[in-house]
Amino acid sequence: MFFQSLWPGDEVEWTVFQRGPMALEQVFNAPPDLLLVDDDLPQLSGATLVNMVKSENVYRQLPVMLCLSAESPLETMDFHSVEMDDFLVFPVSALEARSRLSLTLHRASRELDANPLTKLPGNTSIIQRIQDLIDRREPFALAYVDLDHFKSFNDKYGFSRGDEVLMMTARVIVNTIRSFAGKLSFVGHVGGDDFVFILTPDVVEFACQRIVESFDSIVPHFYDQDDQERGFILSTDRKGALQQFAMMSVSIAVVFNADARLKHYGEASQIAMNLKKKAKSIPGSSYVLDRRQE
Amino acid sequence: MSDDLRTERKGQLLAVKDLPTLPKVLEEVTRLLEDPNSSSQQIAKLISRDQVLSAKVLKMVNSPIYGFPGRISTIQHALVLLGFNVIKGLIISSSVFELMNTSMVGLWEHSVGCAMACNIIAREAGFKEPEEYAVAGLLHDLGKVIVALQLPSAKEEIDVQVREEDLLYLEAEKKVLGFSHDRINAWVADHWNLPLNLKVGIAGHHRPVTAQHYPKMACVVHVGDFLVRTLEVGSGGDDLVPRLDPDALALLQLDLSQLDTVLDAMLLEIEGDGLSMGLG
Repeated sequence: MFFQSLWPGDEVEWTVFQRGPMALEQVFNAPPDLLLVDDDLPQLSGATLVNMVKSENVYRQLPVMLCLSAESPLETMDFHSVEMDDFLVFPVSALEARSRLSLTLHRASRELDANPLTKLPGNTSIIQRIQDLIDRREPFALAYVDLDHFKSFNDKYGFSRGDEVLMMTARVIVNTIRSFAGKLSFVGHVGGDDFVFILTPDVVEFACQRIVESFDSIVPHFYDQDDQERGFILSTDRKGALQQFAMMSVSIAVVFNADARLKHYGEASQIAMNLKKKAKSIPGSSYVLDRRQE
Repeated sequence: MSDDLRTERKGQLLAVKDLPTLPKVLEEVTRLLEDPNSSSQQIAKLISRDQVLSAKVLKMVNSPIYGFPGRISTIQHALVLLGFNVIKGLIISSSVFELMNTSMVGLWEHSVGCAMACNIIAREAGFKEPEEYAVAGLLHDLGKVIVALQLPSAKEEIDVQVREEDLLYLEAEKKVLGFSHDRINAWVADHWNLPLNLKVGIAGHHRPVTAQHYPKMACVVHVGDFLVRTLEVGSGGDDLVPRLDPDALALLQLDLSQLDTVLDAMLLEIEGDGLSMGLG
């Protein structure tokens, strides 16, 4: 088979099905890294199969490519309703096929891990990045950022106003981190109001100060004028009682990896979670550094 | 003027995609951006002196792409949120020409002077974020620049009216265009998603107390415009001083002695800062 010849057998494993329905069962039970669908299948058309896979949210991240035997189906193809990630038109050279498959695979991992709101890398990339640094025994500072009183803001103003604040926070963190150029700098969005950044240990405190400063001066503009002047908002708490909530602030917890003391990503996040409690107990914006490195 | 003609003119004015910027500021900002030791405050200060560059920066940070339209009204905040890469791109892509300097002699000094005045007034009145008032002061005559760029023949007619009939620039605009720069400012503010307080400041500075929201913003720009004209810093296009609305002072709760304090502070800054040095 053409595709099996593209890579050595110990690098890429192919499973081939002649009929759509059989393939579907296998795909749903054990999703592959990439699904290649022949447009011309008996019983079930390629396009239908693509859509059955893509309509399920848990399989959406599976990259799917459609193989066409001639260009003609493209003329009538409705790319809005056939949700494939890419296609190949045969005959195709081995080099092109190999390149397009790799590209599709990589693109999928880039796009699907990104946070849909901020487009920052999500959990998978964050964990990979941190574990990679740990494995290479590189010293680094890992900071967890989250917002205080975000929920009460969201409750009062609605989620689209909340999204504005998250976008603003993301921009503040990204631009602050970027101003400390270096190979270590990385910003990720864990989800909701939780962010992560990585920097070299020597500049991280300065970066925290800058983030706190910028956030505190910008965030009042996201409140209505009367709340801005009052300096707090009135909103109902979890029990439904009216309560005063302070303006949003940032809490940052920083974990250091010096002398390769961290062995696993889980350790870093565990330490950070404990520190974060400390940071959050301080009213207003604050940052806490893990000083146990020495 | 018929509604059709007004809509057409509005369209022509808003078609302004690349407002010119001043080469001197451009060079300076580029230099600061390339210097790793420069701070965002320094860059913000420099950008704040160029109303066209300021308007572009604010337009961009308030565009829906960034996800928080209509929220940001100071250059310092815009720099933090846009990042230096975008600022650099914005500056590089800016078309550079000196039309503003040649077609509106003295307007730049007038605008920078007004920004400074608004900052001082806002501080004297005890308002938070005086920089926001300064931005409104800087941009308050943006509509005049846009007419000069987009409707140059109308601009000439306005100049003739000002000279021959001894009119205020504002009155001449109304005679020639059917509307004046404050109206254009409102259109541009909407078109660029600028925050409401900025819009009120630049669109309401000739009728300050009528503003429904943020009337204090309009009043500060109104008083700032008056003071900077009284001190004859730059030129707003005519040689007359518009009437100071006493209601504006009342709304700001400023009395005449405080106005004196503001004037003194302005004179000090003009001397210390060399406002007219190397410009125009």
